[in-house]
Amino acid sequence: MADADQVTITINGIDHVVAAGQLLITAAENIGEIIPRFCHHDKLEPVAKCRMCLVEVEGPRGKALVPSCTMPVSNGMVVDTKSAVVTKAHEGVLEFLLINHPLDCPICDKGGECPLQDQAYAHGPGESRFVEEKRTYLKPLPVSDLVLLDRERCVLCDRCVRVADDIAGDPLLVFTERGNAVQIQTFPDEPFASYFSGNTVQLCPVGALTSVDYRFKARPWDLHHVTSVSLVDTVQSTVDVQTSRGKIVRVYGVENDAVNEGWLSDKDRFVFPAIHADTRVVQPLVRNGERFDKATWGEALEIVASRLGSCKGAEVAAIGGAHNTNEDAFALGKFMRSVIGSAHIDAQIGDGLDARLAAAVTSRARLGDLDAASTILVWGPDLKEVLPVLYLRVRKATRNGATLVVVSPVATGLDSVADHVVRYRAGTGSELLRKLGAGDGDLVGARSALREGPVVALVGRTSLAEDPNLAESIAAFALSLPEAKILPLLERGNVFGALDMGLAPGLLPGRVSVDSQEGVDAIEDAWGPLPDHEGLDAMSILADLVEGDMSALVMVGSDPVSDCPDPQLARAAIEAADFVVAIDAFITDSSVLADVILPAAVWGEVDGTVTNLEGRVQRIRPSLLPAGQSRALHGLLDDIASQMGADLGTSDLAMISKEIASVAPSYAGITIDYLTFAGDPDGVVVPIEDAQQPLVYTPVDRPVPVVTGEFTLHLAASLYDAGVWLSNAAALGDLARSAYVRLHPSDAARRAITPGETIVVSGSHQLPVALDDTVSRGTLVVPHNLEETKGFVATPTVTVDTVRGEE
Amino acid sequence: MSSPISAWSHASQERVQTILDSYPEPRSAIMPLLYIASLEHDRVSPEAMRQVAELTGVTPAQVASVASFYTMFKRDGVGEYLVSVCTSISCFLRGADDVLEVVEDATGARRGETSSDGTFTVEHVECIGSCGGAPAVQVNYELIEGVSTDNGRKLVAWLKDTKPQVVLADEMQQLFGGSRSFDWGGPEPEGAIAPVPAFGPYGSSGEGR
Ligand code: SF4
Ligand code: FES
Ligand code: FES
Repeated sequence: MADADQVTITINGIDHVVAAGQLLITAAENIGEIIPRFCHHDKLEPVAKCRMCLVEVEGPRGKALVPSCTMPVSNGMVVDTKSAVVTKAHEGVLEFLLINHPLDCPICDKGGECPLQDQAYAHGPGESRFVEEKRTYLKPLPVSDLVLLDRERCVLCDRCVRVADDIAGDPLLVFTERGNAVQIQTFPDEPFASYFSGNTVQLCPVGALTSVDYRFKARPWDLHHVTSVSLVDTVQSTVDVQTSRGKIVRVYGVENDAVNEGWLSDKDRFVFPAIHADTRVVQPLVRNGERFDKATWGEALEIVASRLGSCKGAEVAAIGGAHNTNEDAFALGKFMRSVIGSAHIDAQIGDGLDARLAAAVTSRARLGDLDAASTILVWGPDLKEVLPVLYLRVRKATRNGATLVVVSPVATGLDSVADHVVRYRAGTGSELLRKLGAGDGDLVGARSALREGPVVALVGRTSLAEDPNLAESIAAFALSLPEAKILPLLERGNVFGALDMGLAPGLLPGRVSVDSQEGVDAIEDAWGPLPDHEGLDAMSILADLVEGDMSALVMVGSDPVSDCPDPQLARAAIEAADFVVAIDAFITDSSVLADVILPAAVWGEVDGTVTNLEGRVQRIRPSLLPAGQSRALHGLLDDIASQMGADLGTSDLAMISKEIASVAPSYAGITIDYLTFAGDPDGVVVPIEDAQQPLVYTPVDRPVPVVTGEFTLHLAASLYDAGVWLSNAAALGDLARSAYVRLHPSDAARRAITPGETIVVSGSHQLPVALDDTVSRGTLVVPHNLEETKGFVATPTVTVDTVRGEE
Repeated sequence: MSSPISAWSHASQERVQTILDSYPEPRSAIMPLLYIASLEHDRVSPEAMRQVAELTGVTPAQVASVASFYTMFKRDGVGEYLVSVCTSISCFLRGADDVLEVVEDATGARRGETSSDGTFTVEHVECIGSCGGAPAVQVNYELIEGVSTDNGRKLVAWLKDTKPQVVLADEMQQLFGGSRSFDWGGPEPEGAIAPVPAFGPYGSSGEGR
C-alpha cells in the first residue's frame, strides 16, 4: 500500500489503488467500473434507497450483497460487480421498479436520456413477470409554477427531497404515505416555491419531475448542446444550453465544481424564453416624434455616427456594458476612449461599489476558499435573492462546519444557517462596524468568531439606499481579520468582466488605474492619446446631462431609469440629453426614451469570454444566430467608428481577444483560443499574485455618516423583480411578489399604522404595509424594482404618511 | 408573536410545553405533538399540521410526511368507534377477511371509511401483536382476541345498542372474544394504557376527548 490516504481494493479480480475515504460506487466509477444507481448522487448525502447499486463484497462470513453507495472503501476489500448473484439482484430491483412504472417512454420528456430506461436496458431482466394493471395517479400534479410531477413515474429515489431540503434549504417537497402508496407531495397550498426547484427536474432519474417550459417540447436526441455560462448574475454558473430547431428549449447546470457544482437558480435555468420573446427589438429603430420608425442599419448608424461625431469627446458618456462579453466591453471602452475621446464611461449605475474595490481588492477570495474557510462573514445584499448559487455555496460551507456571521438590516435567506445574525438599523452601518470591531455587548460572539481564520468576507451593499463607502470600510475591517480574503459582491451579469475591461471612470483594461503613468503609456502606445479629462461615474454623468454639461449618452444594455438609485434623475437626464442611443434588445423604461435603438445580440447569441465575481474567465458560446437583424456590440461599434472615419479594429473576435491579451496586463495569455483549446475547462482565474495585477487596491476605512431621521430606508432586492428579462420570460414572468412595505410592529404602533393599510412613502409611492418583527426598528423596507415601486428614489431616509385623511 | 395554539385548551398548551422542553431538538416532538393536536381538532387536520410545524420549526410538508406515514394519526377523522381488524398473516389464516367483511356489513362502513351517521370507522390493520389470539380486533385500540364472524356481528350490534361511553378490553373480550394469546392478567388499574407516553392524560378510551 502506497501511503495512508490510499487503499488497495480488488474489483472483479483486478487490484486497484484508490483514494481512501471514498464510497465504493465512486471509487469503482473512477476506475471505469460503472455501478448502476438511481438514488446515489455525488452532491447529495447517501441514503441507499433504491438498492440498484448492490455489489458483492467479501466479508468474514463470505460474500454478501451490499449497497455500494454507502460502503466506504477499505484496504483489501474484494468486490464483485458482475457475479451471477449481482446480476440477479440488479434484475430483481429493476423488475420491481418496473411493476408500477408506466412504459410511456415515447411521450415522456426523459425518454432517451433516462437512467431508468438505460439501466433497464443494460441490467434489466428484459421481461417482466408482472402482468397486473399498473398503479395510476392523477397527473400531472403541479408542485410549483415551474415544475410538474407525474407520480406514477417516480422511483422514490429521494433525490428531489434531498435537493430541496439539504441543498436549497426549502424542505417543501416530501414523501408522504407509506408502503405501496408512498409518493412525493407538497403540503396543500404550499407549493415547492423554491428558487432552486429546477435542479430537481435535472436530477430526477426518471420523468417524474418535468419543467413547465420544456414539457413535450423536444426529444433529447434532437437537442444540440453548447457549454456556456449563465449571465443572470456574477457567479456565472456553467450551463449546458440545449437547442432544438433554432430555439433554446432547455438550460441545464454543468458540474463545474469550481463554480456552481451543477446547481442553477431557477432564474439561470428558466430565463431563456425572453430571448425568443416577440417583444424583442430586432431591427434598428429611429425616433420620429412620439414613436419609433424602423430603419436600416445603414440609416441608423449614419445618424449615430454623425450625432456622436458632432459632439466634443467630453460631452459624450456611456453607461452600461455589464451584460456584455469581455470582448464587447473592451470594444466599448476602446470606442469611447479612442474614437469618441471620452473618459466618461461606467458599467455600474450608481448601484455598485467603488470600481477599484470590486476589480482589484487584495486579497481576493475565490469561491473555493469558502470550502476552506473557518469563518465566513456576509455583509451585503441578501445572497438568496441576488446571487442564489453563491447562497448555495455558503450553505454548503456551513454544512461542512464553517462559522457564518451575517450582518444586515433585515432578515436574509442565510439567517437560518448562520451562527451569528447581526441586525442594525439601515443607515447606521458605520456605527455597527465600530461596535463589531470592538466586540461590544452582544457582538462578543460574532467578534470572537471573526478571530478564527481563515476568514472569507463577502462584502457588498446591503441595499441601494446604503452608502457605497460603507462596503469599503467593511472590507478594510475584514482585511484586518486572520488570513482574510474578500469576495466583492456585485450582481449584474458580467460587471466584473466589464470593470476588468476598463468600463469604469478610473480604470483601464486589465486592472490598471488611470493614475498609473506606466499603464496610461502602454495603452496610448496601442490606441493613441487617451482623453485628458477626468472620467465621471454614472451618477455624475446623469447629473451633468441634466445640467447640460454633457449632451449625448450611449446606453449599452443598461436601464438607468429602473436600476439606478435615482430613477427620476435618470429619466430627467435622458430627456435632457440632445442625443441618446440605446444598444439594447428590449424596449425598457430607459431605451424607450432614446433617439435611436440599435438591436443588440444577447446571451445565447454572443461569443467570447466573461469574468465572474472571483475573477474566473470562462468561454461564453452562442447557441443561436442573433435574432432578426441584431448584432454583436463589437461589430456595430466598429462600423460606427468607421462611419466616423476611425479604425476601431474590433470587427473580429479573435483580433479583440489578442488585443486584450496584449494591452490588458492581468489578462495576458487568457485568450479565447487558450480557453478553448488549452485552459482548464472550469475556466481560468485572472492571476492576482504579486506583480501580475498592476493595481493592488487596499480598501481604507472611509468616514460614513450615521443617518438619522424617523425612518431610514432599506431597498430590498428580490430574485423575481420587474426586470425586463424576467417579464419577458414566459414561466418566470408571473413570479414577482407583490410590493409590501415592511416595518417593525412597534414603529407601526407608534404611528398607528395597521397591517394591510396603504401608506405614502416619500410622498411618491402608495404601498400596502406588512408588519415584520425581523426588521430593525426605525427601518422601512421597500421592495426594489417591482411594478409598484418603479421610479422610487433610494434616499437614505424616507417619510411615511397615512392616506386615511387628517385626524 | 402570538402562539399558534392560543385557541387550544389550557391543559393541552401546558402539555405541549412539557413535551417541547423534554427534547433538545424541537422537531423530535413532532409525533407527540400530533397526538395533542389531533385531540384539539378531532383529527390531524391541515391546520393541526401547520400548528405542529410552527411549534417545531419545520415546514408543514415535513409534518405531513410524518403524519401520513403513521396510520394511527387520523387525518380524516374517525367515528365514535374505531374498529380495527387485523388482516396480517396469522389473522388472515384464521379468517380475518371474513370478520372484516362482517364488520363492514354490520357498520355500513367500508374499510378506511366512516359510516354515514358517524358512529363507526372501519379499518384493516397490520399485525397488532396478538397473533396467538388471531383473529384480533380492536375497538378504539382496546383489544379483543379470537373474534369469530358471529361475534364480530354481535360486537357491532352491541356497540350500536348500548353506545358505551368507554370501551374496555376485558369487558369486550368476555362478551365477544375467543381464545387468547395468553392470559393478560387482571384488569388494568386505570382503564386504558396510553399508546405513547405523550398520550398521557388523554386516554384512548375516551377520557379527555
Ligand atoms: S420524483 Fe424523481 S427525484 Fe423525486 S423521488 Fe421520485 S424519482 Fe426521485
Ligand atoms: S444507488 Fe445505492 S441504493 Fe440507490
Ligand atoms: S397477524 Fe394479526 S395480530 Fe399478528
